[in-house]
Amino acid sequence: MNTTSASAAATPQPFFITPAEVFSEFSHHHPSVARINNGGLGCCPSSLISSQRQIQLQWLRQPDEFFFNQLQPGMLRSRNVIKDLINADHVDEVSIVDNASTAISIVLQHMAWGFAEGKFHSGDATVMFHCAYGAVKKSVEAYFVRAGGYVIEVPLPFPVNSDDEILQEFRQALEKAKQNGRSVRLAIIDHVTFMPTVVMPVKQLVSICREAGIDHVFIDAAHGIGCVDVDMKQIGADFYTSNLHKWLFCPPSAAFLYCRKSNQSSALHHPVVTHQYGNGLATESSWIGTRDYSAQLVVPKILEFVNRFEGGIDGIKRRNHDAVVDMGEMLAKAWGTHLGCPPHMCSSMVMVGLPACLHVSSDQDSSKLRTYLRGKFGVEVSIYYRPPKDGEVGPLTGYARISYQVYNKLLLLLLWFIDISGKYLSLLQPKATTLPLSH
Amino acid sequence: MQHEDPRNGESAHRSSKKPKLSSKFITESDIRDEFSHHHPRVARINNGSFGSCPGSVLTAQRHLQLQFLRQPDAFYFNTLRDGITASRKIIKDFINADHVDEVSLVDNATTAAAIVLQRIGRSFAEGKFQKNDTVLMLHCAFQAVKKSIQAYVTRAGGSVIEVRLPFPVNSEEEIISEFKKSIEEGKSNGRKIRLAIIDHITSMPSLVIPVKELVRICRAEGIEQVFVDAAHAIGSVKVDVKEVGADFYVSNLHKWFFCPPSVAFLYCKKSSSSSDLHHPVVSHEYGNGLPVESAWIGTRDYSSQLVVPAVLEFVNRFEGGIDGIMKRNHDEVVKMGKMLAESWGTNLGSPPEMSAAMIMVGLPSRLCLNSEEDAVTLRSHLRDRYEVEVPIFHQVFKDGEEGVRDKDGFITGYLRMGKRAKCFIRNEEAVMKVRAAFHGINICVLPSSDACGITQFLKNQTKKRKEHRRRKLYASWKPRNGESCCLRGCNEVESLGTYAFLLAIDKAETSNVGIGMALLQMVRIHWSMLDQPKLLKPWLWVKHV
Repeated sequence: MNTTSASAAATPQPFFITPAEVFSEFSHHHPSVARINNGGLGCCPSSLISSQRQIQLQWLRQPDEFFFNQLQPGMLRSRNVIKDLINADHVDEVSIVDNASTAISIVLQHMAWGFAEGKFHSGDATVMFHCAYGAVKKSVEAYFVRAGGYVIEVPLPFPVNSDDEILQEFRQALEKAKQNGRSVRLAIIDHVTFMPTVVMPVKQLVSICREAGIDHVFIDAAHGIGCVDVDMKQIGADFYTSNLHKWLFCPPSAAFLYCRKSNQSSALHHPVVTHQYGNGLATESSWIGTRDYSAQLVVPKILEFVNRFEGGIDGIKRRNHDAVVDMGEMLAKAWGTHLGCPPHMCSSMVMVGLPACLHVSSDQDSSKLRTYLRGKFGVEVSIYYRPPKDGEVGPLTGYARISYQVYNKLLLLLLWFIDISGKYLSLLQPKATTLPLSH
Repeated sequence: MQHEDPRNGESAHRSSKKPKLSSKFITESDIRDEFSHHHPRVARINNGSFGSCPGSVLTAQRHLQLQFLRQPDAFYFNTLRDGITASRKIIKDFINADHVDEVSLVDNATTAAAIVLQRIGRSFAEGKFQKNDTVLMLHCAFQAVKKSIQAYVTRAGGSVIEVRLPFPVNSEEEIISEFKKSIEEGKSNGRKIRLAIIDHITSMPSLVIPVKELVRICRAEGIEQVFVDAAHAIGSVKVDVKEVGADFYVSNLHKWFFCPPSVAFLYCKKSSSSSDLHHPVVSHEYGNGLPVESAWIGTRDYSSQLVVPAVLEFVNRFEGGIDGIMKRNHDEVVKMGKMLAESWGTNLGSPPEMSAAMIMVGLPSRLCLNSEEDAVTLRSHLRDRYEVEVPIFHQVFKDGEEGVRDKDGFITGYLRMGKRAKCFIRNEEAVMKVRAAFHGINICVLPSSDACGITQFLKNQTKKRKEHRRRKLYASWKPRNGESCCLRGCNEVESLGTYAFLLAIDKAETSNVGIGMALLQMVRIHWSMLDQPKLLKPWLWVKHV
C-alpha cells in the first residue's frame, strides 16, 4: 500500500476497460440518440470495426490468395471459438451463417425435404409459440406448411409471473395435438422471445419435448449469446441458433447454428449451393459464393474485446441484467405500471408497462409511438402492443422493450426518460382517445 | 488509409489534394490511386474470379456502413429500402428491363441459381413436374450451378442433360450445332425439358456464348424456361435482357462492374409464375415479391447493394463510360493473349470476337499439364514463386478427340487472362511477368520514386531464399535504338545456387510499350545468357531510374 505523496502517481493501471474507453469504443453511435434498443440490431465497438476492416482490405489486396490460403482456416478458427463458448462437443456441430433467419431457413428446408421424400406425412405438425419472430413464422409458412405440414401455436401468457405458466401452456398444446392424433415433428422454441421479451425455461421445455417424443427441437436464440447463458449440452436441443451481432458485439452480421451430431445432422444443407455441397453444413456455410466474410472471420477478436471487461461476457451479462431491471423497476414505479415478467425471467431486456393514458390500442399505434419517440425525443425503443383478453379490466396494452448494453449510461438514461415521459404525458389531454401522432 | 468523404453515401468522389486536371476523364495516376490497395507486386490477371473495387467506391461503402452502425434502427426504417430501390432502378436502366419489379439484388450469381433451382425443386415436389423431366446445362457450367442442380433437381427426381461445348472453338456455329444436338437427345424418350441454363460467358474455359440465338432455339424447341447465368457479363459485354429474351438473367456486379463484394442482380421477366420465386432465406417480407424479399433477409450489411450509384459515377469518369472500358479491355486482352500465344507458339482458345475481357491462351505442351491437380499446382506455383495470379484450365479430351498441337505435343492447358482497367502493375508488365515466370524468372518492377524499394525488396528476397546460396549481380543496361542490347558490367556468374540481376533502365524509353518491350528483350537476352540447366531459379529485378 502506497502511503507516500507519490501514491497518486503510483496508482496501478486499470486492469479492465474504463468507462472512458467504452465511450470511445462506441463514439460512432449517434451522440444525441438514446439507444435503448440493442435487442433490435445490436452494436459493434470501434476496435472490432477496425479489425474487420483489416480483413476486408486483405481480401481486396489479393482475393485469390485470401480465398485459397486464409478463408477456410479463418472460418475454422471462428467456429472453434464459438464451440468453446457454447460448450459444444465438436467443431463440426458449429456452422456460421449470416443470421438466425438464415439458420431457421436451413432447418425448415430440411423439414420440407422430409415431406417431399416421404419421411413426414401431410398433416404432421410443428409446435411453436405464438410470439415467435415474424421471419420464423413466415419461414414455417414457406417451407413447412407449403410442404404439407400443420402449425400448432402455443399462446405465451403475458404479462407472465413464473416459468410454470409457460410450461403449462406448452404441455396443454402438446396434449391437444396428441389427442388429435397429430405427429409433432418439430418444436420451435425461443430462448429469449422477441416481443414481448421473456426468458423461456428452455431446458424444461426441451425435456417436455423429449418426453412427448418430438423428433426435432430447434431453439431460436437470436438473443441468446451474450444475453443469457448458452450451454448446448445443458439445454439439449437438436438445433440452436444465436446471432453474434446482437449481444456479442460482432459487426453485422454473423450467427452460429449448432446442430447436434446425429445421423440426421449430415443431411442439412445451406440453401445457397456451391461446390462445397455435400461436405457438411459447416463447410457449405463457410463458402456460399463470393461475398464479404469479414464479420464471420473477426469472431476471435470479439473475445479479446469482451475480456477487457471485468468478468468477461458473464460479467457484462450480469451487469446488463441488473441495470436493465433497475431501470425497468424505476420506470414502472414512476409511471404506476409494472414489468412484464419477474426479474429472473428478464435477460438484458425488460418489458415496462406504458401508462394507460397513452392508449396504445393497436400495432399501428405502437409503431407510430416508436417513430414519434425517435423523431421528437431522439429515443430509440421498441414498443409492443398487448391485445387485451376477454374479460380483462383495465389491462396495460402498451409496453416498452428496454435494452441495456455496455454503452448505455444508467443514470443519464433514467433522468432523461423521466424527463421525456413527463413532457410527453403533459401533451396529452385527459380525455384523448387517440395519440397525438398525426405528424 | 483512404481519405473519408463526409458527404452522403450516394455519391462520393475521392477528394484529391491536387488541383483538378483539365481533362474531364480519369487519368492513369487517378486509376493507380483508386487501386492502390491492391498488392503492389502481384500481377493480377484474374479479375474474372473475384473482381475488384476502386477506392472511391470503397469509401462510399464505408460511409454507408458507418451510417448503419451510428443509428441502425433509423437506417433500417428510413434509408435501407429506398437505397436498394435506387440501386435497382440504375440496374434496370442499364440492362434495358421493362420494370424495376423485374430486378432483384442478391449476393451473387450462386444465390440467384439457388433461387431459380429451388423453385424447380418445389415443382417436382408438388407434382407440377414429372420424374425424369429435364434440366439442360452446358457441361462447363460453373461448379456451383452444377451442384445446385444436384441439390434441387436431381434430388427431386429430375434428370440433367449436359451440352458439351467444343474447345478450342472456332466459331459460334460450332456451339449452336452442339446445342441443337443436345436438345434433340434431351427430348428423346418423351422427356420434357423444363429449364435450360445457358452461360453468357462461360467461366472455365472462358468463351462468349451466342445467348440470343440459343434462347431463340430454346423457345422454338418448346423449352419452358431459360435461365442465363451471366456471372461475368455486366461490365464485360453489352447486357440487354429484352434482346437476350431469357426468363431469368443473373450477373455479378462485383466482377466487372466495380462493386465491392458482393452484389448481383437477378432479372426475372414478368410472367404468371414470376410471383412464385422466393429468396431461400425467408423474412417477414415473404410473399411481397422477390425484389422486396431480397432487400431484407435479416440483419446484415447491405452496403454493397446500396453503393451502386457511386459505382456508376466511377464508371462515368472513363472515356466512353462502361462501353469505353469494355472496348478497351477487350482490345487489350486480345492483344496480350496474342502476344503470349505467339511467343509460346501456342493458340488462343477462341477467336477474338468470342472473347470479352478474358481470353484463353494455350500453354506450351512442354509443361505437361496432365490433370486438374497439375493445373492447381501450376497456379499455386505461379502465385507463390512469381507473384502472378492467373487461373489455369486443364483440357480433358474425350476418346478419339484430338487437341491442338504446338511444336512439342498436344496443348492440354490454357491460362485465362482477364483484363481490367489499368491496375498497379501495368498490363504489359503483367504479361512479361507471366512470360518470364514460365522461364523461371521473376520480374519485379519497382517505381522510380521507390529509392528504398530495391534494397527492401532484396532484403525480403534474401529472407525467402535463405536456403540457397546467392550471388548478386549488378548490371546496367541501356537500350540502343530500342533494339538489341547487352549486359554490361556483369560479375562472374556462379554456376550453382540462385542469383539475382539488378538492372537499371534509363528513362529514355518510358512509355508502357517501350518498357514492356524492353523487358521482353531483357528476358530473352538473359535467358540465352543463362542457358545452363543447373541454374534453376534465377531472379531478375528491374528498376526504373
